[in-house]
Amino acid sequence: MSWINKGTTGLILKLSPLMLPYLVLFCGGVFLTVCQSAGIFTPLPHAGRALDAYGLILSDPSFFASFGFSLGVALISAAGSVIAGTFLAYRVWQLPAKLANAALVYKIPLILPHISVAFVVLIFWSQSGILASLAHQLGLIQAMHQFPNVLYSGWGLGMILAYTLKGTPFAMLLVMALLVRFDVRQIQTAAMLGASGLRIFFTIVMPRLAPALHSSFIILFLYSFGAFDIPFVLSESRPGMLSIHVYNLYFKHDLARRPEAMAILTIMFCFAVIFIIAYTKIVTRLENTVRKL
Amino acid sequence: MKHFSGISHITTLIILVLLFALPAGILVMVSLAPEWRYPEIWPAQFSFKGIWFLVENKRVILSSLAASFGFSLLTVLATLLMCLAPASVFARTCFIGKPLLEGLLLTPALVPPMTFAMGLHFVFIKLSVADTVSGVVLTLAMFSYPYMFRALVAGFQTMGDTYRTCAKNLGAGSAAIFWQVELPLLMPAVIAGGNVVFLVAFSEYFLVFLMGGGNVASFTGLLMPLLSSSNRSLAAVLTLIFLLLPIVLFVIMDLSLMRMYRKKGMV
Amino acid sequence: MIKKLTCLIFLLILPCLITLPSSAPAQSISNEPLLTLSFEQIQKQARGTLVRWYMYGGWAHVNAWVDTYVASEMKRRYDIDLKRVPMDAGVFINKLLTEKAAGKKKGTIDLLWINGENFKNAREAGLLFGPFSGRLPRVRQNVDPDSITYDFGYPVDGYEAPYGKAQFVFEYDTARTDTVPTTIDELKQWIKNNPGRFTYPQPPDFTGSAFVRHVFYAVTGGHEQYMAGWDPDLYKTNAPLLWDWLNEITPFLWQKGQTYPRDSAFLDTLFARGEVALGMSYHPPHAQNMIIQGSYPGTVKTFVLDDGSIFNTHFTAIPFNAPNQAGAMVLADFLISVDAQLSKFRPENWGDFPALDLDRLDPADRGRFNTIDLGPATLTPEQLAPVAVPEIPAPYLEALEQDWKTHVLDK
Repeated sequence: MSWINKGTTGLILKLSPLMLPYLVLFCGGVFLTVCQSAGIFTPLPHAGRALDAYGLILSDPSFFASFGFSLGVALISAAGSVIAGTFLAYRVWQLPAKLANAALVYKIPLILPHISVAFVVLIFWSQSGILASLAHQLGLIQAMHQFPNVLYSGWGLGMILAYTLKGTPFAMLLVMALLVRFDVRQIQTAAMLGASGLRIFFTIVMPRLAPALHSSFIILFLYSFGAFDIPFVLSESRPGMLSIHVYNLYFKHDLARRPEAMAILTIMFCFAVIFIIAYTKIVTRLENTVRKL
Repeated sequence: MKHFSGISHITTLIILVLLFALPAGILVMVSLAPEWRYPEIWPAQFSFKGIWFLVENKRVILSSLAASFGFSLLTVLATLLMCLAPASVFARTCFIGKPLLEGLLLTPALVPPMTFAMGLHFVFIKLSVADTVSGVVLTLAMFSYPYMFRALVAGFQTMGDTYRTCAKNLGAGSAAIFWQVELPLLMPAVIAGGNVVFLVAFSEYFLVFLMGGGNVASFTGLLMPLLSSSNRSLAAVLTLIFLLLPIVLFVIMDLSLMRMYRKKGMV
Repeated sequence: MIKKLTCLIFLLILPCLITLPSSAPAQSISNEPLLTLSFEQIQKQARGTLVRWYMYGGWAHVNAWVDTYVASEMKRRYDIDLKRVPMDAGVFINKLLTEKAAGKKKGTIDLLWINGENFKNAREAGLLFGPFSGRLPRVRQNVDPDSITYDFGYPVDGYEAPYGKAQFVFEYDTARTDTVPTTIDELKQWIKNNPGRFTYPQPPDFTGSAFVRHVFYAVTGGHEQYMAGWDPDLYKTNAPLLWDWLNEITPFLWQKGQTYPRDSAFLDTLFARGEVALGMSYHPPHAQNMIIQGSYPGTVKTFVLDDGSIFNTHFTAIPFNAPNQAGAMVLADFLISVDAQLSKFRPENWGDFPALDLDRLDPADRGRFNTIDLGPATLTPEQLAPVAVPEIPAPYLEALEQDWKTHVLDK
């Protein structure tokens, strides 16, 4: 190893506990996904040409429906979580010390696994659920079929609700971490100068919270876009989330369809990477700061 | 902040409770009232069938709880081992390409974990790593280590170089510096990162199903089939256990950390 | 540096890839050394071992029966630890296919709960160990061999051991629904008269898939024509009648047919909570079981249509790479024992019909079966037997499930 100096060797050695698994398992895993999408290293010898699977996927309108649907669910739930999380975190931060402990209930959905959060949504929002019963008792509906169809409207509202319920406390957590370092005197000064509560929030607090907002949005958006657990409990027959599509292709068809599953995964991976790069670029340009993530 | 009245604080708390605590309260009721149906707003009758289910199936429930607990702790340990040395490098050294490398190292938490896990699956089967706890732990660690990494980098940055230099000047060797000075000071960061990693591993369903192949039992795997069951009290009871266990664990960790600091006179 | 590291990935991954086999020939294994042993020797070999049983996990009561009764009896009688693993049949077949392709000689699955198209696919890909069922003393003793020659038209050949029998019934709540249809035509009219009150689980869920086959039989002139085996032309002529029928009722289904329950447990939930008025099950005492559990109200009853009610046998099988084939054989043998079948038959446990030939049992044992009270919600054998019709050969089933998606769901 004469071609690298001693300092670099030490650096590489120290980084290796992370770099080796990263390269072998993560990069290697993605590499194998891409290979298998082209029919290389698949369980069954691949008969067709390398890009056949992509041809099949991209000529299937239901793939684009799924893609758009996943995108919509992820976008709405991530935006909703970040907005609600920021607002709630700001209000919790302003709570007097003796009430602040009670606010810790926000951590409950953080602890619950995704599938349980989906179950909670099921209990609350199905047409025979808690909210329908409540609406009945309040005289708003006479029969359960009059309760708005939330879970099976074809718009993925159930999944959006579940992701938002899970994502809001997450955004709150990241925002609160920044808020505790925030100087209260800035707000007091602004208030003394006559700024309204809204104005204070948008011109003084928000810019400081931007890093947390961006990271929580990216994390939540990409998670909802590609995760499996919540759709597995709450998804409708169609259009399905991409992850369900992949699961069905991988586990419920014969091995010859593996390249198609892998092709969808490859497309999802590329989308995620492009999204991260584009998002950070745009944010950097807009705010002219160095790094957000 | 005088312009916020007490009423608005109470409103905040009510919103928080309605959004986040009410579901847990409803779960308690569902677990005690399997026959709770529309349009009852309060269950007509309560029963302990859900609790009996716990007693009757305690063997399976306990073993899957133990399995989930075990591989989650192992995942925390794995991420800690992976991140400790690199985090200190990232917190203390500047080198070319550091921002890029840091960005790259955070990607596994962002891109859908399916995209690399399913690619690995077939090779893991060939290497007989699939269907084992180590396969599950490796996959979970790969997807959750960025949380540990960020926490540790922040921990090292807060600690700074002064303690290390001081210990060195007093003649401590690098092993002693690490075990007696740095690690205790780093514990809050380890616990913060460990909590997140533990929760991610403990609540994951799909990756455990994929890499464990059913052979590695898990609490989510036990819970999943019950979620669509018509007897909702079973799923509710198990979900409540899911909620309680990490809380108990975190409280124990916090208390023992406090005790350790007190013992060392650090508080 | 990044470039060098990229090179490193390839270096590290390369060894894994080189070991990939070119292709694994799909041949079934014969002359297993285990099958030359006597059953006593097999039992002895299985002592103190762990058996992993992969089975559909969507039915909480079935899971509980396996986890409590079967597990404790296996431990007590044979000193075998039983681990139930919930997994859909299609998924574990896929898992075995992958393991076979990867050349994995020692897998993780010991016993499968299987039948129909999954059995056919597993056999054709050489995924099963055997023939073993002829070696099980209780199969030889208690089971009528003619009742287990075919599984969905595919020869069993001893690669499956019988486990239970099922027959399809509909469920309704007498407190909410006065009259129920008696034929498929009446059912169609009933669905139209009661919009939003009927649905079926989405095929390939087996209950939903069975409902679709009932309609297929009824609207195409009965089951006899399909018994000879797969006939693509016949399918092509007849299938459109089915799609027309199903598409005609779609707008009147629960959620207007926009979405379907994922599995039969989900339909049970909708029925229990009153979102739909009719339920369905492959197990005639299922409704009674749910009443005992408290999931259904006591006013629920079951019915069948005069057009026919499909019955079938379900089985257990052992994978080619089961790590504990001896233990799996002991479990398969225990499951067909009088005690296990009786316990399984009790509606409070499960209500799955015995796969035994009651005439072969001694009178005392036969009496134990006859005295079991299946409850007021369950139809009597006299009501079930006249309408019983056999399952369709597996290729039809696969075609129906595949085409249902294009012709009904995506329509």
